[in-house]
Amino acid sequence: MTMAESIPAIDLLQAMRDVGVTDVVAVPDTHQRSLITLLDQDDGIRFIQAATEDEAVALAAGLIVGGRKPIVQIQHAGLYACVNHLRGIAGDGRFPMVFMIGLLGRDPYRAPSEHAGSMVALAEPLLDTLKVPRFLLDGPSDVGMVAEAFAQAEAREGPTALLIGVNTA
Amino acid sequence: MTTSTSRISVDNAIEALARRRDDQVVVSTMTVMRPWRERAETDRDLVCVGFMGGASTFGLGVQLAKPEVPVWVLDGDGSLAMQLGSLLTIGNAAPRRFLHVVMHNGVYDTSGAQPVLAEGNMSFAEMAKGAGYVDAVRFDDIESFELALDDLLETDGPVLVELITEPTGDSYQGPEPGTSKPLPEDGRPVASALADVWPRVRDSLGGG
Repeated sequence: MTMAESIPAIDLLQAMRDVGVTDVVAVPDTHQRSLITLLDQDDGIRFIQAATEDEAVALAAGLIVGGRKPIVQIQHAGLYACVNHLRGIAGDGRFPMVFMIGLLGRDPYRAPSEHAGSMVALAEPLLDTLKVPRFLLDGPSDVGMVAEAFAQAEAREGPTALLIGVNTA
Repeated sequence: MTTSTSRISVDNAIEALARRRDDQVVVSTMTVMRPWRERAETDRDLVCVGFMGGASTFGLGVQLAKPEVPVWVLDGDGSLAMQLGSLLTIGNAAPRRFLHVVMHNGVYDTSGAQPVLAEGNMSFAEMAKGAGYVDAVRFDDIESFELALDDLLETDGPVLVELITEPTGDSYQGPEPGTSKPLPEDGRPVASALADVWPRVRDSLGGG
């Protein structure tokens, strides 16, 4: 069995730049901390911290109203915490909003839905229930999904989710 | 603390703000939403239905996107109580042209006037100051509010105004028995209200 490869944070940052992301609205996620460090030092993409994931969703919606192109960066626990704002603002409000969700603690050799812990296992079924298209990033070669997630969010006028299945490095 | 017996009518508070309405983006929620829109709606109004507590950071996002455009948030006490952390998020982001008005009537009006927690023992203005707002003031009479309002609108924000208001008694009665109609919002299904209005606001701000 080979070691699961981390996703280089610089590649994720470049993918965000390429698609025109202007702001990252975040509640800090352990799984994506190397990306957060990079974003904090990046002059091009603004990093905005929120106290809760509900607030991150509402704040990102306001940015979109103002013509910006944010991404919401949270952890799986934060996904569970912000279900009503995800449903009511991003979903019913028809905002093209992309979520980047860290699956902290995931065993990279199993599909997330087969994980023993509910924190990882329920993320995909919950997104399916909320009718949010999802993309699982399992390694460096999946970074192109960032552009796909934005394209689909804009096409459907609604939220999409990038699940970060391994650590960023 | 809300120990005063003096209270401001929501209609009077709205009237005072409506007279000063110009090019601001206004985010309103709960019981203040309908009277505000009837009195002062423009193509820069955003509504919040079905996600209590979201109004303040929704407005923050607009202000961070368009720092030159003033943003007013017309919030409720029960709503803000659901997202108290938003005071920290706003205090930290320090939006300069941001007025956060909290209608503090002490009850959950729409669900039948149950008391908001810690009523009589807490102050949103004090909490906002502690969270980093530049200024936060509480009023329980319309005259004092009117006298201070113009100066507050000129103050670099974020500024929070806590208005001790009368309950409206505007409780939601639910759909007619035997129907499955969703909560109406100006005659439209609630689910589509925000989706209908935000593109209009975006366009008025110069498009996306």
